[in-house]
Amino acid sequence: MEPYEGVDFYDIESLLTEEEIMIRDMVRDWVDEEVLPKIEHACAEGVFLDEWRVALGEMGVLGAPLKGYGCPGLSYVAYGLICQELERGDSGLRSFASVQGSLAMYPIWDFGTEEQKNHYLPKMTSGEWIGCFGLTEPDYGSNPGDMITKAEDMGDHYLLNGAKMWITNGTIADVAVVWAKLDGVIRGFIVEKGDEGFSAPEMKGKHSLKASVTSELVFQDCKIPKDRMLPGVKGLRGPFSCLNNARFGISWGALGAAMACFHSAKTYSLSRIQFDHPIASYQLVQNKLAWMLREITKGQLLAYHLGRKKDDGTWFNEQISLAKMNNVDIALEIARVARDIHGANGVLDEYPVMRHMANLESVKTYEGTHDIHNLIIGRYITGIQAFTRTV
Amino acid sequence: MSNIVVLVKQVPDTNAKIVVSGDRVDLSAVKKVMSPYDEFAVETALKHREANGGEVTALTLGGAGADKVLKDAKAIGVDHIVRIDTEDEHDSNALQSALATVLTEIGAEVVYCGKSAADTGAGSTGPGIAERLGWASVSNVISVAFESGLTVIAPSEGGNARISVPLPAVISCDKGDMKVRKPNVKGIMQAKKAKVEVKTVAMQGSTVSVVAHSMPPAKPAGKSYEGGAAAAEVARLLRDEANVI
Ligand SMILES: Cc1cc2nc3c(=O)[nH]c(=O)nc-3n(C[C@H](O)[C@H](O)[C@H](O)COP(=O)(O)OP(=O)(O)OC[C@H]3O[C@@H](n4cnc5c(N)ncnc54)[C@H](O)[C@@H]3O)c2cc1C
Repeated sequence: MEPYEGVDFYDIESLLTEEEIMIRDMVRDWVDEEVLPKIEHACAEGVFLDEWRVALGEMGVLGAPLKGYGCPGLSYVAYGLICQELERGDSGLRSFASVQGSLAMYPIWDFGTEEQKNHYLPKMTSGEWIGCFGLTEPDYGSNPGDMITKAEDMGDHYLLNGAKMWITNGTIADVAVVWAKLDGVIRGFIVEKGDEGFSAPEMKGKHSLKASVTSELVFQDCKIPKDRMLPGVKGLRGPFSCLNNARFGISWGALGAAMACFHSAKTYSLSRIQFDHPIASYQLVQNKLAWMLREITKGQLLAYHLGRKKDDGTWFNEQISLAKMNNVDIALEIARVARDIHGANGVLDEYPVMRHMANLESVKTYEGTHDIHNLIIGRYITGIQAFTRTV
Repeated sequence: MSNIVVLVKQVPDTNAKIVVSGDRVDLSAVKKVMSPYDEFAVETALKHREANGGEVTALTLGGAGADKVLKDAKAIGVDHIVRIDTEDEHDSNALQSALATVLTEIGAEVVYCGKSAADTGAGSTGPGIAERLGWASVSNVISVAFESGLTVIAPSEGGNARISVPLPAVISCDKGDMKVRKPNVKGIMQAKKAKVEVKTVAMQGSTVSVVAHSMPPAKPAGKSYEGGAAAAEVARLLRDEANVI
């Protein structure tokens, strides 16, 4: 396939700073050299390569927008570009970075004590320690507020009981940020690998995000020292503020997957001859390609503007919901149309499209399903919550 | 402690589609990158610093647009970045003289460069500068050891030669089995802050000048053969015409 040079129909690059461009290119080159040649094998084996963890740490992109404690302190736009380029490789890779930075490091950075920040953040930004984020439970997905997992104050320690499910990085994590109810109020706890009563068995058999580890977290009278609770937040605001940052990254990441699919579809359609001519010369195919570029470009402008709003602090939650929902939605549709343009070849692992398509099904569901974001925006428009029947 | 200089050149991305409009190559829309062999030179220069101490200066020649290649070198770890300012086209003579002047000015003790630039492929810069400075010079070096002076390995007839090189010297670098280091966020943030030192040199006049550019002739269409019966003919062609077996 012809080398990838990015998709930038509206010259968004002209809006980026010199270092944002350099960081994007650094990650793009790394994905070309170290991810794309290995990703299909990693998916077939169902593994996240440890060398990717090491490289992400060495590049210095983990916890990108966080400042201090050895963290990179980059702009949110730079963080978005990192997610975009990682997910052009594979959503599993971007998931690793999202979970590490936005879901595990961020709550420690925002809600942790000085000691907790100094202890965990330097080793997490360097990639030495892997983090995970435990919110979802077997019976509570879209509705985490009703979670069952609970913590009890035993005087000199907390006792954690319950189970989390669908936890990215769970089995390979050194540090788990777990949300549990203490006296009926949701609080964040830091659980470490090896803590008594804690196990994290891997969930196998995914048809999606195969190069990402997904696990259960099981707490059976798990003893947590007192200084491992995050003091700075109570209630759903804790996990939701993490999700906001991760969702922001996903709105860029999904574009990366869409760009990979568009690039593959464009290249393939120019070389595939049917009825004596390249299929790219037929109007129906051009219509599909034009639609892809149109949606990617709109999504880029959405993500870029949201990024600058994140940087100057003028954003609100629903804007992030709209970007996550829209960009994942169009990426998934672009992957499907790209698969169609590839004909039978589209189902092969020689092309990235079916892998992205399958990945994006997870991306559509996690971090708030597509429809949960519709409900968030619907509540914003009408002032009426429609999550449950009791208004 | 050595004063190490690495020469870096900005060239069109080797993947870029090149177009000729009028009788000149049009590079306006082409992405520009560090010439690939220069990456090996930067890597070798940084290894030299690690082994013997000292500082590495990356030096280029061109207009302000060429600062990007210096920032890229800075992001990988060089200490100083210097550009000889000129927007005009010059021939190799003029370029080498200007580079030699500045190398003397900054007190270089060892100079690394790529074995050739990806755009011209001429490979004359390293030896040309050494000649002007009266320094030792070895080309196509694939590996360097930094014990006493330099011991370098370069291909020679039928194998490799180990060559002892006294300093000062100009070493032009080939790929070898070198893995070049990549930038990271810290390096990029340092590059962002770093100031390019801009020097002006009285450029000597060029003796030769480009009259016109043209695209290489299109590749002739390939031949295809089918069936086992063609095997002998294919083998003959591969041996006699393509010279690959
Ligand atoms: C690969 C993968 C990795 C994940 N990683 C993590 C992780 O690291 N940490 C973590 O905590 N979680 C993680 N999750 C879990 C994810 O966040 C949840 O799957 C998600 O929140 C949805 O929950 P659910 O699967 O229980 O679906 P449900 O909530 O049961 O939803 C099922 C369907 O019902 C719809 N629905 C639900 N409620 C309503 C309503 N009120 N009105 C209309 N429609 C509704 C949904 O939109 C959806 O279509 C991961 C999931 C996957 C697939």
